[in-house]
Amino acid sequence: MAGSVGTDWGTSMKRAWILFPILIFLFACGQKENLEEVNYRLKWLYNVSTVGDLYAEAQGYFARHGLRVNVKPGGPERDALKELELGHAQFGVASADQVLRAAAKGAPIVVLAQLFQVNPLNWIYRPDQTLFATPEDLKGKRIGVTFGGNDEAILRALLARYGITEDQVSLFSVRYDYTPFYEGKVDFWPLYLNAQAVIIGEKLEKAGEKYAFMSPDALGVRFVANSVVTTREMLEKRPETVKRFLTALLQGWQDALDPKNEDQAVKVLLAADRETPEAVVRRQLPVTRQLMTTSPASEFGKIDTAAWQQTEEIMRTQKLIPGPVAVETLLAPGNTE
Amino acid sequence: MLHRRIYQFFIIYFLGVGLLLALKYGLSLSDYVIPSPGEIWRTGRTYAGPYLLAVLNTLAVAVLGHIVSICLATMVAILGRLTAWVGSFIRTAAFNIQAYPIVAVAPIIFILLGDGLASRLLIAAMICYFPLLLSFIGVFSEPVREIEHFFESTGRMTWRLQVKIRAFENIQKLTTVIVGSATMAMVGTIVAEFIAATAGIGYSIRIALYQSDLAKILVALFLIGIGTSLYLVSLEWIGNALQARLKRT
Repeated sequence: MAGSVGTDWGTSMKRAWILFPILIFLFACGQKENLEEVNYRLKWLYNVSTVGDLYAEAQGYFARHGLRVNVKPGGPERDALKELELGHAQFGVASADQVLRAAAKGAPIVVLAQLFQVNPLNWIYRPDQTLFATPEDLKGKRIGVTFGGNDEAILRALLARYGITEDQVSLFSVRYDYTPFYEGKVDFWPLYLNAQAVIIGEKLEKAGEKYAFMSPDALGVRFVANSVVTTREMLEKRPETVKRFLTALLQGWQDALDPKNEDQAVKVLLAADRETPEAVVRRQLPVTRQLMTTSPASEFGKIDTAAWQQTEEIMRTQKLIPGPVAVETLLAPGNTE
Repeated sequence: MLHRRIYQFFIIYFLGVGLLLALKYGLSLSDYVIPSPGEIWRTGRTYAGPYLLAVLNTLAVAVLGHIVSICLATMVAILGRLTAWVGSFIRTAAFNIQAYPIVAVAPIIFILLGDGLASRLLIAAMICYFPLLLSFIGVFSEPVREIEHFFESTGRMTWRLQVKIRAFENIQKLTTVIVGSATMAMVGTIVAEFIAATAGIGYSIRIALYQSDLAKILVALFLIGIGTSLYLVSLEWIGNALQARLKRT
């Protein structure tokens, strides 16, 4: 009898050991199901310009706000705005020119936050070979530009601002390959200050060459870069979801760019972007921080209405949009300055 | 032949556009995602001229690339018929070269040759060369025993005669593969322009993609379809004329 009790007890214990992890798993699944799932399409592949998005996801910021966010990389053929309208994503990242083009064609979108306070697009040049003290010095220079890209719009705005006509400069069509710049065939080459500039700068340093950057923003052309967007329908029908998403995302960005969390931010980014060496990421992060948090007092993600108005003006002048889009109506209230 | 190909293309094109418009109105999508018929029409009127020139530019490079690859495939196939080993070696080399995606090889080509005509030509030729080569090797290394035997037994067989016999006996097959590879030459040229050139319709499509302008892309696709149809019809006509002439002689 005692033996039988002992056997029963042993069997029960065994069953308990098997059931326990299953219950834990089921509980975890139940917990997961309570989270509201949304898709978030980035503008580009995972790189330093997405570190905050990845950080918010990896560090559980979204989960703490009751969200399960699928952070999906973008790319040259991906358009977050189209995915929003088609319902494949609920949130996305797009540049201001994309937003304005879409709005001009009736896309029902709203800008929730502006990630870059300063557009990271710059032109790299060799100061010992290319004299550049004032914009007037652009005359007679060969300048790289991606025809159809936003750098073309920015460069044309810059030239117009300083009264330089197109026949006074030579525009060179650029792609991803930097060879024409390395070979000295082009004087100015467009790149993103927080991403490629670090890599290209390092190569030039190794070759013993000097380099500097021309910033359109510093020369008065304020063309907005990446912003977080959603649909008007999402904002109206699921305002709580939008609020929770934005709160978690901006907190994620703020913490990812905080120097205290650098090691963790680097780890999160490298888990997603295995191609970029850690040393490069560590050099990219402070530059990204400067471009996204220009003043310590300003709140992260604030929408710069004046910069948006200037962006609209540039696009209208260059006939990139057919008419006014009333840019103020695209910017989510409560996050503008 | 021409009108049949053109109206067949029209059916396919307008079915595609119709499907897009059905999607647009069915899902109430904005003109940003799928342009309205009015916008496509306006874009067509504005860009038909420059895009037509761009398509002609692309077509010219594609035709040149196609001719280069036909000549090259013929030469290699004639060499390849010498022994079974050479034939199999060339086939293996061709397979290996074709296995590299052109988007990975293209940047190297552009570094070496720049973004001018030579690069576009080379990429177009590379893309349509492979099917040509395989068919040509098959045709030129396969003996036509009943005819070749006569010349061999009378001691009058030369390599030129052998090539002529095999080409004549397989002219239908050769014409079909040349016409089939023409579309690949066009695709190859467009891919090359899309990746790095500064001219041609592939370059225009790239700019339109940067601007998320589907209306421009639809106009470009329409003109590419017309251009490719014209080229295919011309090739078929040349093939038929050649066959008729050979039969007469």
